[in-house]
Order: sequence, then C-alpha cells, then structure tokens
Amino acid sequence: MRRQRTILIALSTLLAASLTTLATPASAQEAAAEPNQVTNLTVRQADGYATLAWQPVDGATDYQIERTPVDANGTPTGAATIVGIWRPNRQINQESPTFADAGFNPGDRFQWRVRARFDTTEQPYSTPVTGTTTAPWGNPNVAGEQLRTQWETSHAAQYTSDTEEYAYTAAIDELSDRVRVVEIGRTVKDRPINMFVIGYPTPPATPEAVAATSPAAINCNVHGNEPGDREACLIMARQLAFSTDPRVIDLLSHTTVLIVPTINGDGRAANTRGNSTGQDLNRDYSLIRQPETAAYVNMVRQYRPIAGYDGHEYGNSRAGDLPMLPPRHQNVAQPIFDESMDMIEGHMYTKGAEDGWWPCPYGCDGGGSVGLGEETILRNTLGLKNVVNSLLELRSSGGQTRPDEGNTANNRRRKTFSALWTFQQFLDYHRANLPAIKQGRAEAIAFQASNTGRLVFRGSRPIPAHPAPHPGSSPPPIDAPPADLILDNAPCAYRLTEEQYHGARTDGPTGAVTTAAERIADHGWKVIKVGDSYYVPLNQPERGLIPLLLDGQGVENLVDGERIYPTLTGPRTGPLTVTGFACLDDATITGPVTVRSGAALVTTGTTITGPVNASGAAGVMLADTKVTGPVRVSGTTDAISLIDLTVTGPVDLSANRTDNQPLLVGNTVNGPLACAGNTTAPTNLTIDNTVTGPRAGQCATL
Amino acid sequence: MSYPRTRHPRRAGALLAAALLLTVTACTGDPHQPDTTPVAAQISGPLCAALPAGDEPGNPTYLAGQPVATALQWMPTLTTFEAALRTSGLLPDLEHDGITLLAPSDDAFATKFSDDTWDALMTKDQDKLRTLVKAHLIAGTHTLDELADDGTATTLDGATLTVTRTGDTTRFGDKADAVCGDYQATRARIHIINTVLGPLPTDAGGRDHRG
Ligand SMILES: [Zn+2]
Repeated sequence: MRRQRTILIALSTLLAASLTTLATPASAQEAAAEPNQVTNLTVRQADGYATLAWQPVDGATDYQIERTPVDANGTPTGAATIVGIWRPNRQINQESPTFADAGFNPGDRFQWRVRARFDTTEQPYSTPVTGTTTAPWGNPNVAGEQLRTQWETSHAAQYTSDTEEYAYTAAIDELSDRVRVVEIGRTVKDRPINMFVIGYPTPPATPEAVAATSPAAINCNVHGNEPGDREACLIMARQLAFSTDPRVIDLLSHTTVLIVPTINGDGRAANTRGNSTGQDLNRDYSLIRQPETAAYVNMVRQYRPIAGYDGHEYGNSRAGDLPMLPPRHQNVAQPIFDESMDMIEGHMYTKGAEDGWWPCPYGCDGGGSVGLGEETILRNTLGLKNVVNSLLELRSSGGQTRPDEGNTANNRRRKTFSALWTFQQFLDYHRANLPAIKQGRAEAIAFQASNTGRLVFRGSRPIPAHPAPHPGSSPPPIDAPPADLILDNAPCAYRLTEEQYHGARTDGPTGAVTTAAERIADHGWKVIKVGDSYYVPLNQPERGLIPLLLDGQGVENLVDGERIYPTLTGPRTGPLTVTGFACLDDATITGPVTVRSGAALVTTGTTITGPVNASGAAGVMLADTKVTGPVRVSGTTDAISLIDLTVTGPVDLSANRTDNQPLLVGNTVNGPLACAGNTTAPTNLTIDNTVTGPRAGQCATL
Repeated sequence: MSYPRTRHPRRAGALLAAALLLTVTACTGDPHQPDTTPVAAQISGPLCAALPAGDEPGNPTYLAGQPVATALQWMPTLTTFEAALRTSGLLPDLEHDGITLLAPSDDAFATKFSDDTWDALMTKDQDKLRTLVKAHLIAGTHTLDELADDGTATTLDGATLTVTRTGDTTRFGDKADAVCGDYQATRARIHIINTVLGPLPTDAGGRDHRG
C-alpha cells in the first residue's frame, strides 16, 4: 500500500522539478558561443560542498567539472583540476544535471567550468562561474558556534580523537540549552558511549518524554575504521545546538534528535572494524553479546526512535557517492519497509538530483554479496523493531567520478560532507513525513502483535531495479529465504527453561557475559513465568525478531526455545477458566473468561463475548481481539499487553505489579478506561487508543 | 583509564570545558610554531601529494619537531600503522632511541589483510602484532639515501632486508617501494612504503566489498 505512495511522491517531485526547470530560464537564457558548449552554469554553496548545475548538451555522454582556486579578484592561485565526472546514472532527473563538488577546504574561493564529452571527445568549456565556498559552520565570535572539531581544525588531517570528542561534546552540552548529553553505556574498555539529545527550546526531560516526540536517531560510527560519518555527526550536533535557522528551530520544536557519535569507541581508537574483542558490532545488534550493542538496543527501547540512519564507509570504487538500503529482512512489517523505501527512493534520490549527490542502493555496480537480510545488522534489527531506517555508506575512494581524491584531505572532506548532507536530509524527511512514519509504525506494530503470516528466519525482500541510467539500476542480490528458513505455521510463544533463561553463557566479553534474560529485557520483550517455565509470546511488537533469537531454526539464535502452539482455537461456549499457560488463536469464546492467580492468557484473532477477569495472573497479553464485556486486570506479576483490541465495555487495570510498562496500544474501547495503582505506569508507545468513555488515572493521556 | 564526565553540574564547568577544548585544539592544531621547526624538511615520492604540505596543519616541517607518535598521527595515510604501533606497546622504547620506520600505507594494509584478520591481530594476538610491527622498524635514524647506500638493513624482528635503488625509487625486501620518504620526527625518520613487510600471509579477499 505504501509503495504506491513512493512512486507517487517520486513522480510528483519529478513533475515539480521539471516545472521549476521550465520556470527558471526566464532569468536570462545564455546562448552557446560555440557548438556543444555547456550553458547556464550556476553554482550554489552549502555546507562543505558546491552544487554545479547546467543546461545539458544534446548527445553528451558525460561531463567534466573543472575547479580552479582563485583570489578575491578572480585571478587563479593554483592549477585548474578536473574534480568531477557527471554520468547519467548519478540522478533520476536527466534534464537538469547537477554535481556536488566537495573535498576542497571550506571557505576557499574557486572558479568552476563544465564541459561535455561525446565519448572521449571533449567539447568546449562553459563560461566560468566563481564563488566563495561556505566556511565551517558557526560564527567564530559567538559562544558555542565557535566550537570546532579536531577534524575541522586539522583540515581533515586528523580524525577527532576520543578525548577531543568528549571535550567538544561537553562544551556543546554546557553552552546549549537545547542539548542534553547522556551516557547510554560504556565500551568493553570502559569508554563512555554518549548520545546527544537535542530538542527546542530544551530536550524533554526523560526518555519516556523524549519517546513521546517520535524521535529521529543517527548511529554515526559502528565500524572503527569507517570514521567519515562520525565527523559529520559532530558538526551537525553543533548546528542543531546553536543554529537560529527557522528550519532547525521548526525541526527541534516538533521532534527530538538523538545522535550517537561513537558506539564503538574502542574500535575507533584502534582503527579496527570490530570492538576491542574483535567482534563486528554490526553483526551483533540482535544477539547483543557486547556492551556497545546492548547499550544501543537499550537506548532504542527507552527512547523509541521511529526513524534512523546508520553510518558506514564502503570500499567499492564503482558505487555511487551514497549507497543506502532499507531494512529488508522479510519479517520486517511491510509499512516499515515501504516507508524506508520512500525515504530513500522518494526523498534521497530526488534531493540528490537537486543538490548533486549520488545516492544508490547498497551494493551498486559490482557490489557483490552485500546488503542482505541478517537480523544482526542494525538496519534489519531496527526494522524488526518497527523503526523506519536506512544504512548509509560513503564510498571510500574517489572512484571513477571524483578524480581529485588522491589527496587524503580532499577524500575525507567529500565523504564527511556527503554524510552531513544525508543526515540533514534525513531530519528534513522525518519532519515532513512525521504523520506518515507514525502511521506506518502503528500499522506495523498492530501487524506484528497479531502474529499472523509466516516467519522467515533469514532472507530479504527484493529491492526493485530501476531502468538504467537510474541510480537504482543496480540493486543488491535478491537474497530470497531458502525453504528451510521459512516457518509457515508460527507458534504462539516460545518456552524457555530456567537454565536457558538464567543460565550462565560464554558468548561475550570475558567477565561480562550477560544471560538470555538480560538480553531479552534489553530488547524489551514481555516474558511470563508460569510454573518453572518462561514464556515469550509472539503477540508483541517485535514478533519478527523474537523467533530469530529463540527458535532452534534461527541462524544466529540465543537459545533453542520450545515452540508452543495455541491451546485453543475455534468456537467454545461456556465459562473458560485459565490455569497454567493458555494461548487462544482464532477462537470464538462465548462465556466469561477468568484467569487464575499465577496463570497466563495470550490471545490473537479471537472474539470473546463475556467479561475477561484476571486477578493475580502471571500475564495477560491480548492482541487483535474483540471483547464484549468488561476487561479487568489486577495484581498481575509479569506482563500486561493489550494491542489492537476492540472492547465494548470498560477496561480497568489496577494494582498490577509488573516491573515493565503495561502496553495499551492502538485499542478501541467503547467505554471507560481506568488505570490506578499500577507499580509501573502503562504506555501507549505513542500510538493512541480510541476511548469513548472517560480516561482516568495512569491512563488519562493514553 | 579515566575520561572526562559528560555532565557538568555547574555553569563554571562550561567555560572550563570550552577553554579546555580551545587549548587542546590549539596545541594539536597549530602548525606554525617556528621554534619547533629547526629545519625545513624535504620529503619525496609520489604519495607525498596526498599528504599535508606547505603551511597546512601537519606539514612535514612542523612534524620534524614532533615526537614520532605525534608525527604519525598527522599522517592521514598511516592510520592503520599508527594504531598498530600504538597497540603493540612498542612506542615508549622508540621514543628514547633513534629509530627508522618503514611505515606501510593504509592502502598497503588493505591489500594485505582482510578486516577480520586485521581485527584478530589487533585484538587477540599481541605477539604476532609486535613481530609484524618490528618488521618495519630499523634501529638508528637513516635517510633513504643512507639505506640505499648500505644495500641492506636489519629490522627489529631480526630479518635482513635488501635495499635497492632504481631511478628515484628505493625498494625494500624486493617488494616494498618508498612512496613518500624522509619524513623527520624527533630522533626518527619515517619512510612510507606501499607494501606490508614481514612473513604473515596475504588474505585480503573481499575486503573491498563490505561497509
Ligand atoms: Zn561499516
């Protein structure tokens, strides 16, 4: 459904773009002095890059972009250099070629010319345009704005070190009311993992309050030897903290921006891909064996970002400037995949064509077997947590289209400023599409909690190829799930033994290995203990991720949990009293349902005519269920989750003793909703309930 | 190890943090200290164009007055070797005695080791890493000319390298060319080479295609 929207947006933006093109030439159409000369060259300056745009020449196969340093009088102060090659596959809009020139020292002054080539035959250069590039952001005489990173002051000869990052971060924290820096965890070697929490005029005070603003999160640097995105994050944090630009104020007035500059501080310090134990952290976001990944997953649970980007660099020299990819794992709910695709192909491809950057699908030409469905990768883990998101790669080398990147500083600056462009665009997308992202997330959570459809242990959705020369003409491999990784008949829950749940493990850093129970808690999954067993029902928001860790068929699983299938389906008339663990799926119950002390009731796709009463139950987890009659839940010890219910009658949660938040998400209650005396206040995960009667107590705002 | 806390309860902390930042960036960022640059350093080789030059931060003349550890941190094509040297723990000894470093470029490491192999060396096999680093160190400070004149050099891992000169190019162990040579640092010479030395096998397959 949402895929339709992608196409519509792309088309309407194209239409808008071509209308703009038609409208612009009113401002002096330049005639070509020589045959095949490029005309109407313009330059527009932005953070660390300059967008060249020109009128295309009929028959041109590509264009060369030349840059010459000049002084204030326009006199050259250095050699003219070909810095860019424009090729048709850079952008979706062939009629209006653009090229983002970057790599120069920001603030320097240049002259640019562009010429067409017919195969290798060079045509005459355009008349030149001259401009002073945008200096590093922030007035040097304004407190806060004057801060600079080590990377900026060293002209990209050095990356910002750990201690310099902490000093810069602390200075922003102190000088900006908009910023709170929180330590979300520590690395194996005890380096702090910091996160900027940025809002206007101040960030909300608690994680729950931040979550209520539907935040956007950027994970800047997981692979220690891919530091380009991290420098962009540090610069952007300064802009968000101090800019008076209405765009920034508007953005921060409507949401909260979360920036984690360095999840892998130990790897960054040693310039290694993995952390200090050699673990590739971007193969650990589901298993969270390491403290770094556990910190991130914990943060996601508490702050609930609804959209994200994950920064990397990529060694394929034939790739575009900015390979991107959505969460493709087939257990990711369709609306999350669609919205992520819309962000990449609807927004980034369009904006890339306007500003001269070249996004493309990860993999790209000659990309090999990358961009697949491993749930251990943050892109997929986040998708399975119902977060709209994308991977971001920065092409490591200049490649074939940026021939002036033999100089290391030029290469580093192009990468970092392309990341800065992407992150700024990401925040703009988030701001403009907040209602659509929230709706997609609500649909996704309802879908997951309904526990319908097959489970795939590993395998991807296809990324459609676009006709050449579209930037999307070389998508990553299909990566369909093999038959032995598909489970058509999903269980209701997984049962774990005491040993599986609390037993000592060996997978993790020496002396700091966590139990399955701790990792399940970090993910935020509800668990119900009945007798000696721990049940993890699938009718919860992360239904797509749970089996990957708890099923014996999971490719990289945590434990071989026992599949528990529904205990009751179909029609049943008469009172139902639940003792032990009961799972109702596709059932029709006529009569009162009573959940006894210490017992658990789990339902999906079920209709209950009669009251539901649970007093002192271990767990009550209902999803995609209709109840006629009151729903009264009190004294519950382990887990409460009510998602996508239709209740005719009052809903009452009182004196429950769970240590995790009861979920009341997207329900329709034709009657009053009352919550009182619960040890932990219920949450709606920022998905409203529809309640016709009064809402009272701890549920007053849900 | 301890790090600055990220939260400062008092407003005074703000000014302190800001001042600290400016101080730190000033002393790592200022390339224009005349009293630390006794001589103008002459470097040579095709890779020199990729590195800071003229009066840019990290230029060779500035580095000539710096300790070797600092100088290496200013050389953007040596991020892998710099981290390896630091991780190996060999650095403190080097800083007292004269030393010559044959420093493989990042590209050289990328064509030698896969990410996984490299991470294992850096995180799990300290002995192997030290041997690898020693294969790139020569006692005493030697210019490229001096090494070429000698014809052989003994590295700290005990191996003997042939040193040959063809045209302007100095080659070590019949395989590693100096691509930007004769950097100076305090009691040190640094020659950037384009191939990793030492006996470890090459296994760089697939490294280019993973982000
Ligand atoms: Zn990466």
